[in-house]
Amino acid sequence: MSTAERSEAAAADRARRLQRVAELLAEAVTPDEVLQAILTDGVQAAEARAGAIGVLSEDGRSIELLAQQGYDDAVMIGFESFPLDSDLPMSLVVRTGEPLFIATLQERNRLFPALSHQGQEGHALVVVPLAVEGRVFGAMSLSFGDKIEFEPERREMKLTLARQAAQALARSRLYEAEQALRERMSFLAEASAVLASSLDYNATLRQVAQLSVPRLADWCAIDMVGSNGEIERLAVAHQDPEKVRWAYELQERYPPDPNAPTGVPQVLRTGEAEFFPFIPAEVLDEAIGDDVELRQIVDELGLRSTICVPLIARERTLGAVTLIAAETHPPYTQTDLDQALELARRAAVAVDNARLYREAERGSNAAQALAYVADGVVLLDTSGRVRHWNPAAAAITGVTEQQALGCPVADVVPSWEALTSHVPLVAPGGAGRPVTVPIMLEGRERWVAVSGVDFGDGTVYALQDVTEEHALEKTRSDFVATASHELRTPLAAVYGAVRTLRREDVELSEDDRTQFLEMIESEATRLATIVDQILLAGQLDADAVELEVTDCEPAEIAARVLDSAATHVPDGISFGLDADGPLKIACDENKLRQVLVNLVDNAVKYSPGGGRIEISVRGQDSRCLIAVSDEGLGIPAEELERIFEKFYRLDPQQTHGVGGSGLGLYICRELVERMSGRLTVESKPGRGSRFTVDVPARR
Amino acid sequence: MLVVDDERAIRLLCRVNLAASGMDVLEASDGRQALEVARKARPDLVLLDVMMPEVDGWTVARELAADERTRDIPIIFLTARADPSDRRLGEQLGGVGYLVKPFDPVSIGDVVEDVLVRIERGEREQLRRGISSERER
Repeated sequence: MSTAERSEAAAADRARRLQRVAELLAEAVTPDEVLQAILTDGVQAAEARAGAIGVLSEDGRSIELLAQQGYDDAVMIGFESFPLDSDLPMSLVVRTGEPLFIATLQERNRLFPALSHQGQEGHALVVVPLAVEGRVFGAMSLSFGDKIEFEPERREMKLTLARQAAQALARSRLYEAEQALRERMSFLAEASAVLASSLDYNATLRQVAQLSVPRLADWCAIDMVGSNGEIERLAVAHQDPEKVRWAYELQERYPPDPNAPTGVPQVLRTGEAEFFPFIPAEVLDEAIGDDVELRQIVDELGLRSTICVPLIARERTLGAVTLIAAETHPPYTQTDLDQALELARRAAVAVDNARLYREAERGSNAAQALAYVADGVVLLDTSGRVRHWNPAAAAITGVTEQQALGCPVADVVPSWEALTSHVPLVAPGGAGRPVTVPIMLEGRERWVAVSGVDFGDGTVYALQDVTEEHALEKTRSDFVATASHELRTPLAAVYGAVRTLRREDVELSEDDRTQFLEMIESEATRLATIVDQILLAGQLDADAVELEVTDCEPAEIAARVLDSAATHVPDGISFGLDADGPLKIACDENKLRQVLVNLVDNAVKYSPGGGRIEISVRGQDSRCLIAVSDEGLGIPAEELERIFEKFYRLDPQQTHGVGGSGLGLYICRELVERMSGRLTVESKPGRGSRFTVDVPARR
Repeated sequence: MLVVDDERAIRLLCRVNLAASGMDVLEASDGRQALEVARKARPDLVLLDVMMPEVDGWTVARELAADERTRDIPIIFLTARADPSDRRLGEQLGGVGYLVKPFDPVSIGDVVEDVLVRIERGEREQLRRGISSERER
């Protein structure tokens, strides 16, 4: 075979090999597959002994060795990454974009003195730039076993190989970047979906943390700022639940120092993200201090790289997300930080939305509750303008919500000053005692209990219309006052009689002595009656009177009442009973007797001039009418109904001296009504009165 | 003395105990009768109940003060009404004493005597003013 023939055959062989490499590179998808194809088949096709590929770093300041084939590992130590401006073949080629063909080791050492101490086994060296669209992004080196003067065809072959490699590598890197981007986007989409799935942001944030491992981190922690500014750990995620438990224990043993210069406290304080692609030893040292145990724990964790990003919404830092690359995840890059920032932004918005929603919901729930409470609730801002005015406030003041809202309260309720000037304002949580004040509202007097809370941004007043309670209270206190009056006179008689009887300096006549003893007896009885009536009236008020209903004959009861009254009847009074045949009613016999005794007593008392007192018992349809009539003083027409009121006396100034408790007729009417009956009165002043008990008759 | 009370028991107590102090006692059981007796007999002092039918003690006091013949007759109220507002009314109506029931009838003679002595000494105004500040029962 001639030289020409040999040369032609070699050229054909080179073309075939190049073709083969091109096919392999076309099939390779990932950067690893591309590198594999270049460094095995490419190096072989170039008839080189060893090869290496380096690319510019992200910041463009250094060259990182991606892979090599055929070099001794020992030779490559120190060349995993080297500055672009260093005096090395690859640096020069990347800087200039020009290929380098070096025939001998001597030539290489002359050009690159830094390499002269190594590479004995290398002879010829080729370094070609890897460029796409004129942009150099790396270089490929090929080392040969002999010294070779590279002829133009062989040079061209290396350059072609480099072009193929560059394109395949760029394509695969692009593919990888796109894959990563797709992955990141899908992660963000997934995280967003989780965040939007519920308003329970504690739960969704926990899910997001869970979602982040192992895709984003080996460890993911989320801390929130509590209501008092404290740091609350919301979630810790790791693929191994055992490690999560352990992390919580660790947190408990080493609670975060809010003033720590790095980590979550720092991020929460400043609102700035913290990013350590490689955790500097001094940061760990600072955090660990002299704690030997903690040092051991941190060493075991194998922390490599961290990102801590704040959750910020509407300029408020709500919390922080911490991502840690440890045992599996590669160190973080700017891209990871960008993604973490995006994740934090979305999470913060979700938390903020959830909180706002809850606040709004709470607000509307509160407004709804306030619409139904019986107490008036008024919210004033610091300038005294009405901000809330619930329906009860409207009812009490007579001013509608529409009229009140936004207006100075003193303008809409002129008596506001009088209403609230004595109300002590307390701080939230304080026990404000309501002050009860009378005010004139729309011409009627209302008693309103007012309390107020000053919460800084305004004042809340609670208004309660206690007009009825006040009237009741007044009735009660009047009752006590009047009851005590009623007791004083008989008490004075008993006490006075005893004091007088015990006088040793005076000789009482037998007649006086007898009178005093009788006085003690009768006034003591009167006292007992009054006390009984007061108690009974109290029971009636409290609806605590029990009736024992039996069949009884009213005529019989009336007869016994008259018999009993006749024993102490004053002069000039006569009794009579006028009853239809046997008539039965269902009632409490004792209570009915009590009613009749009272009516007869009254008849006697109001008949100072004597006269006839008669009880009549009549059946009328299904009713039984029992009437007590007298020929006494009678009752003025305008007083006829009032005499049944508690303590009402016939005398306008309540100074009527006819003994008794002032409760008799009140009790009578109440008792009759409880027996399903009615007590009525007819009277002619000066001619006498007739009280009629009307109860259902028994068939 | 004139004792005015619609309660017979109170009149009896006053009569017996005032008599024991050597005083002559007239009685009236209601306001109208009290005014009649007072105008006719001009007693040295009236012990006057307040709560009486028809014409009450306050009215009696007013009428006595309005009548030349009776305006100087000292009045001691003897009543179950213990409110400060009632005491003030008693003072305004010119009373010189205010006894609240139940009272000690044994000492009533001394009370009346003391009042009369002090009036003699020209302390009527002080007695009147003392009514609403008095604390004794």
